[in-house]
Amino acid sequence: MACGTGGSPSQSPQAQPTAVGSPTPAAAEFPVTLVDDEGTSVTIKTEPLRIASLSPANTETVFALGAGDRLVGGTEFDDFPSEAAALPDLATYNGVLMEQLVAADPDLVLAAGNDFNPPADIARIRELGIPVIVLYPEDVPGVLHDIELIGAAVGRGDEAETMTSDMQARIDAISTATAAVEQPRTFYEMGAEPELYGPADQSFVTDMITLAGGEPITTGSTTAFSLSLERLVDEDPEVIILGDANYGTTAEEVAARPGWDVMTAVKSGAIRPVDDIIVTRPGPRLADGLAALAHAVHPGLALPSTAP
Amino acid sequence: MSAGAATEARSAVRVGRLGVLRHRPVAIGLGALAALGVAIVAGVAFGNIAVPIGDTIGILASRLGWPVATSWPASTETIVVDLRLPRVLTAAVVGAGLAVAGTTFQGLLRNPLADPYVLGTASGAALGAAIAVLIPVSVAWLGFGLVHALAFSGALIAVAVVWRLARTTSLSSLTALLLTGYAVGSLLAAGLSVAMYASGAQLRQIIFYLLGGFSGASWPQLAAAAPLVVVGSVLILIRARSLNALLLGEETAANLGMNVRRERAILLSLAALVTAAAVAVSGLIGFVGLIVPHIVRLMVGPNARLVLPLSALVGAAFLTFADLIARIPGELPVGVVTAIVGAPFFIIILRRARAGYEV
Repeated sequence: MACGTGGSPSQSPQAQPTAVGSPTPAAAEFPVTLVDDEGTSVTIKTEPLRIASLSPANTETVFALGAGDRLVGGTEFDDFPSEAAALPDLATYNGVLMEQLVAADPDLVLAAGNDFNPPADIARIRELGIPVIVLYPEDVPGVLHDIELIGAAVGRGDEAETMTSDMQARIDAISTATAAVEQPRTFYEMGAEPELYGPADQSFVTDMITLAGGEPITTGSTTAFSLSLERLVDEDPEVIILGDANYGTTAEEVAARPGWDVMTAVKSGAIRPVDDIIVTRPGPRLADGLAALAHAVHPGLALPSTAP
Repeated sequence: MSAGAATEARSAVRVGRLGVLRHRPVAIGLGALAALGVAIVAGVAFGNIAVPIGDTIGILASRLGWPVATSWPASTETIVVDLRLPRVLTAAVVGAGLAVAGTTFQGLLRNPLADPYVLGTASGAALGAAIAVLIPVSVAWLGFGLVHALAFSGALIAVAVVWRLARTTSLSSLTALLLTGYAVGSLLAAGLSVAMYASGAQLRQIIFYLLGGFSGASWPQLAAAAPLVVVGSVLILIRARSLNALLLGEETAANLGMNVRRERAILLSLAALVTAAAVAVSGLIGFVGLIVPHIVRLMVGPNARLVLPLSALVGAAFLTFADLIARIPGELPVGVVTAIVGAPFFIIILRRARAGYEV
């Protein structure tokens, strides 16, 4: 993949191991042609030195791969690591700030799919001749794949491989531990205003809940993100995880909602907050997110030690 | 000729101090042209990123073939030539098109509340755009995506349906057109609501289309839309005499020897075409097509031969300025700016106007 004009998905055996933090000996790895998550084939001619990240997950990944000093811009949502917040904003909720992006003069743009960055904006950046890789992981293996994709794109393929194998080992250890115990019916609340929002079928969060040892309660459709209270009462969650705890929702407030007192989770007080950002952001802290989620689903369960 | 004179005689417009301008359409035209020029220059010179005015001039001059030493970064040239210039020109073209279409619809329907969107074009375009957003394939052809194509088709199909349905009612044809337009528009709006409800993560894209704006403008889009808007507007201008005759009422127009049904169909088709091309690239921008024709009529009277070209100039200048203002705080939807700036201005003009004004 790092050497991928042939398009082989396997790691190139002759890739040079490099010391973390040192400049990459790039001559062997570029130009590189990669296929992004939307199936677009993108050729990167030389090692990118001016990277624009259009999603907080991409920003985190670039920093974690030791290439954060090559970022020329990020998004208004960047909050980790702390240096990321200081990057000039090139993307906001409203879309890509095209003039700012062009002025930052990037040689690689890392965008996010599934409408996180408006598709029209991504098309526009490509029209201007700037290489764009669109990342849209649909599940946990997809996140690891995307970290490797970014690694290959920025000349940090080996660091990415190391990182993803560590993450995979941690994820496996957690899911092995959680698989051994009873799987409570778990509702991950993403929001309650104006409607109740939860994970769709086969979505990323559904995948995470399963790995964390819960039986996910979903919206019942792959495209809907809202569900009715009737459906939730009928599914009777044994655990309610407050993904919206970061936005001020509390267990007391949930327990006091009209009609909620019939649910097993409310009766037994199994309503627990979680840091939504690490659980749902498809970046290098995903194993931390899974550990936090597993802890919220199974507070008594001893999880494998975190540091790999 | 006789139609224009008759219109003048019938509609005694007195517009207070503005009345002075009434006899100086040329002066108003030159003023609007100058305003448009200033708007275009300012629109290219200012934006989110500060570009030295010297660089802007240098870049434009070098593109026009003058030998200018390149002293600016390539990214600056991209910002000026590929981002700002097509954006500013798209705003001007859309502004002109909406104003001409608005003038035409107001005249055809003899209704001061008519605007380019009155016969279902807005709902049709919006529903088309929403459907395009929901279709899970990304077709981009010369920067002219599925959203633009379906918005364009949606607008035209909506007008065609309204026209067809209105013909078969027994009401007077203008009333039938307006009411059918309202009914079809409501039906399409309901469809839009369903599409928005079902859109999930794509909802934001649909909302942006509904708010309208020029942030996505590009040369290929301009190249696709501008010919339709310009040719459609010129063809309407050529038929200004018919529009004047229709203003007098159908019987009078028929007595003047006009084939009312045919002329109305032609003008309506052209106005719908111009509107569809405009909304395809810009989304739904309100107010321009409603207000600009009134402002121009208040100044020069109802003669379509004057109102149409002057509306085009004023509309172009107005929307280019509105887009510039929209860019200053970041990216406001331009439709918000047209209303915030346009509504008070229009109220002032209206208060100065004396009795006798009608479309």
